[in-house]
Amino acid sequence: MNKTHDTDKSPAGDEDGELDPRDAARIIEQTEIQARRQFETSSPLAALLGAGVFLFGYGAVWFSMRDQRVYAGPAGWSLALLYGLIAVSAIVGSRVSRRATTGVSGRARRQMQAQSAAVMVAGMGAWVVEGALRHLGVSFRIVYGIFGPTVPLIALAAAAGGYAAAREKWPELGLTMAIIAVAAGSTYFGPNGAWGLTGVGCCVALMTYAAVLTVRLRRPSPVQP
Amino acid sequence: MTADALDPLIHAPARLRIMVTLAALNDGDTLSFTRLKDMLDLTPGNLITHLRKLEDAEYLRTVKTGNGTASLTSVTMTRRGRAALEAYTAALRDLIAGV
Repeated sequence: MNKTHDTDKSPAGDEDGELDPRDAARIIEQTEIQARRQFETSSPLAALLGAGVFLFGYGAVWFSMRDQRVYAGPAGWSLALLYGLIAVSAIVGSRVSRRATTGVSGRARRQMQAQSAAVMVAGMGAWVVEGALRHLGVSFRIVYGIFGPTVPLIALAAAAGGYAAAREKWPELGLTMAIIAVAAGSTYFGPNGAWGLTGVGCCVALMTYAAVLTVRLRRPSPVQP
Repeated sequence: MTADALDPLIHAPARLRIMVTLAALNDGDTLSFTRLKDMLDLTPGNLITHLRKLEDAEYLRTVKTGNGTASLTSVTMTRRGRAALEAYTAALRDLIAGV
């Protein structure tokens, strides 16, 4: 129970008028960076993990199908790896998000819950359509080779992008737009292109996003002259 | 410009950190007393003292929900508090630029 009053560690006492202006600017900068890190719902580490999911998960599926002349589907081990990586990434993402919103209530929390619901419904809608296409007799190649790796991703990114645009979160909007562009464009290249190009493209997009997040979290305070 | 131009209520290390931390939240969001205490590494007594001063100036508002042991105290920055912090940082910027 030996907690130190933090102001004791400060360059000046806590009495009015004793604080040097430069020390005040430094306190603002340090506190802003700390608060930004603590309240940020996305972390560079989670983004890098997401990049790993695309590179190794989608990459594994592409690798297992790369020599197929006739579409036979991905190997079981590659799907297991993909879903395993998705599960790990989801767990890390939800932990980061929970840590950021612990003790925070009000509009931000409600917005996050609404966003999660919108993204989940968008993904489920795309998966239902995927099932319907197969039910209606569309080939495995189209349903699981092309639609599967891209359209649900586009739906998830579109829902997340709408939320990012409404909150003027430009890096997140840029990321979701890049994911949509890569996933949509890759469908022109068949199952191998859909898995391979989406994997590499989304990996690059997420690594760029992680770099932007890192810079944003370290951005100096506007108080500094 | 001198340091007298700086709002004395904000121009104290602990209160400055409280204000900057709460300003990082979205407008209207509240932060629990416990999380704020942990983030700033202040003792409960110290934090209460500083919060009371800022609340008296209507820079902050404390919200209590629940009863007894299940009660939760949260803190939110008022519009007046946000404006005061903006005025403070603007004055501080001018002061530093003039040094």
